[in-house]
Amino acid sequence: MLETDEKIAGADLIAGIFLVIFGFLVIITSLNMKVYKTFLDAPGFFPFILGIIFLILGSIMIVTSLKRRGYEQIKVLVKNFKITNIRQSVQFRRVIILISLMVVYIFGLIGRINFALATFLYLFFTLYYLKSARMIKIIIISFIASWAISAFFTGFFKVPLP
Amino acid sequence: MFESFLQQVDLFFTAFNQQLYFSNIVILAFATLLGIMVGAIPGLTATMALALLINLSYGMELNLAITFLLGVYVGAIMGGCYSAIMINIPGTPAAAATALDGFPLAKRGEGGLAIGTGVIASFFGMLISIACLIFITPFIYKIALKFGQWEYFLLALFGVMICGNLSTGKDPIKGWVVGFIGFFTAMIGLDKVYAYPRFTFGLLQLKGGISLIPALIGVFGISEILIVLEKEVPYQILGKITRIIPSWKDILSLLPISIRSGIIGVGIGAVPGAGEDVAAWVAYDVGKRSSKQGEKFGTGCLEGVAAAETANNACIGGAMIPLLTLAVPGSPPAAMFLAAIWLHGIQPGPMLPIEHPGFLYEVAIALILATFFILVWGLILAKPMATILKLRREILMPIILPLTVIGAYASGVRIFDVKVTFFFGILGYILRKLEYPMAPLVLGIILGPLADISFRQALMQSRGSLIPLLQRPLGLILLAAIILIAYSGIKRTVQYTKEHLQIDISK
Repeated sequence: MLETDEKIAGADLIAGIFLVIFGFLVIITSLNMKVYKTFLDAPGFFPFILGIIFLILGSIMIVTSLKRRGYEQIKVLVKNFKITNIRQSVQFRRVIILISLMVVYIFGLIGRINFALATFLYLFFTLYYLKSARMIKIIIISFIASWAISAFFTGFFKVPLP
Repeated sequence: MFESFLQQVDLFFTAFNQQLYFSNIVILAFATLLGIMVGAIPGLTATMALALLINLSYGMELNLAITFLLGVYVGAIMGGCYSAIMINIPGTPAAAATALDGFPLAKRGEGGLAIGTGVIASFFGMLISIACLIFITPFIYKIALKFGQWEYFLLALFGVMICGNLSTGKDPIKGWVVGFIGFFTAMIGLDKVYAYPRFTFGLLQLKGGISLIPALIGVFGISEILIVLEKEVPYQILGKITRIIPSWKDILSLLPISIRSGIIGVGIGAVPGAGEDVAAWVAYDVGKRSSKQGEKFGTGCLEGVAAAETANNACIGGAMIPLLTLAVPGSPPAAMFLAAIWLHGIQPGPMLPIEHPGFLYEVAIALILATFFILVWGLILAKPMATILKLRREILMPIILPLTVIGAYASGVRIFDVKVTFFFGILGYILRKLEYPMAPLVLGIILGPLADISFRQALMQSRGSLIPLLQRPLGLILLAAIILIAYSGIKRTVQYTKEHLQIDISK
């Protein structure tokens, strides 16, 4: 079983590789930007420098994570990888479901239905999933919170709601 | 010189009179109370609170907005000590060091005394930092007036690099990566010089760039919600709160460590992006080494509480110094305050004393009054706070999400900004799980435009030559500092790698 530090070395190796690729893409994109007078004051100049910095930092991360056995750790993780392990991981499942609820709220409900109603639905299902309280209490909290937030921000702060 | 001094005194008393309006006092009382409650509840942080409140302050008059936001800021930093002491979970990162001695004190029935010490230490730290703010800032303005394009570019680079260095424990490379990602984020949108679209990929919404406030709300709001809710962490509030106010003998014995911690707090606060948590840890560490009771630190020592709490609040005034003089925030909550005053059309920097002569004193007076409010509220709330801490995070944290949506939407009245907030929230969560710090990301987004324009203009003026930089003493000092930071950061990374190699060999 890998310790947290070791797992981080594997993650750093992957991050380093992504950073190097990202740096290359930034350099190529910035070199294709229009040059008005000279390259030194062109829109692509500073992003070009940033791309080089990403290449350098990514390379350092790859080297240091390889020295910390990052590659071996990735091999161990891939070898022991099982979908059932992930599905059984309570924390991972919890985060995925919470993010999914946020996605439905922000991308599916906000701007399409009334804000207070969207918020009530989001709070109801999230509090229900988290088993935050008994059902009656969840309904009351969701209703009061969504109504109070909408009324307070429109009435007192005069802030537009989506 | 005497006339200039009289002018400053006149500005001070004008600002003082303005702050004494009844509406200001009421807003400040409410704001510090709100801040203390936000700071006390684990999962709600000062940075998150300010990020959510920025857009709401837009409808207020400038004076009221400053008062409101600073009241929340000061209250939230002090408020973190309650939960750190009572349940061993810091209410804000700034109170992490407080828990080391605060919680053991609570376990032996002296939680009230620990809270009282924390509140008084916070009060004292604020007074030290406000004094430094008032007396040091005018000197920094004079230095900042000499800044040219090279200096501004190097300042932006210095800010991101030192923030990256200080905000990561083991591997500064990660802090720098995140800082430069912040720089890159600031590049997205229309170029400020030629209005050329950069990294927009044809998307109309991206031509306006990534708005600062939605990105901040995502990084400090949504990612925090996920971090708090990913695990169920039940906690128990220990013991009853009995005696709160320490004796005069205790207060006087804590004075030397408090003065030292206050100065450390101001110093760390003045370093871009370092923040209140770094200030608290450094002061705690220094306090432990220099105290006669150093071996008792971590076992329930009032000096430990005093060191951490003085420093984290002293950091606030320190963070205002680079913010007001150079538009470089000294801490993440200060970055939120900077975004807020930008919204009100205030441009911090060397021209601030000319464009808004009394602004420094308005900030200072608001901080002074907030300091007295945290003393009063802090001691009054010690006993009732246990009830507030019983609020379940599984109920509170989901309610924060709609507030982040409103906060993001209110900035540009665009649904796109809400989606940007969500994206940065997920990015922030992933980066935090991989042990990347967030402060450099924020600083990078704020300082990116400054770095970009200054660098290009400096090179244009010198026709691509670096020789003019070598003729500028301030620029050379900043360059030397950057080289030193880069060297020490790479050295720490190499050391960290070697330590791991040795562990593997020994296994």
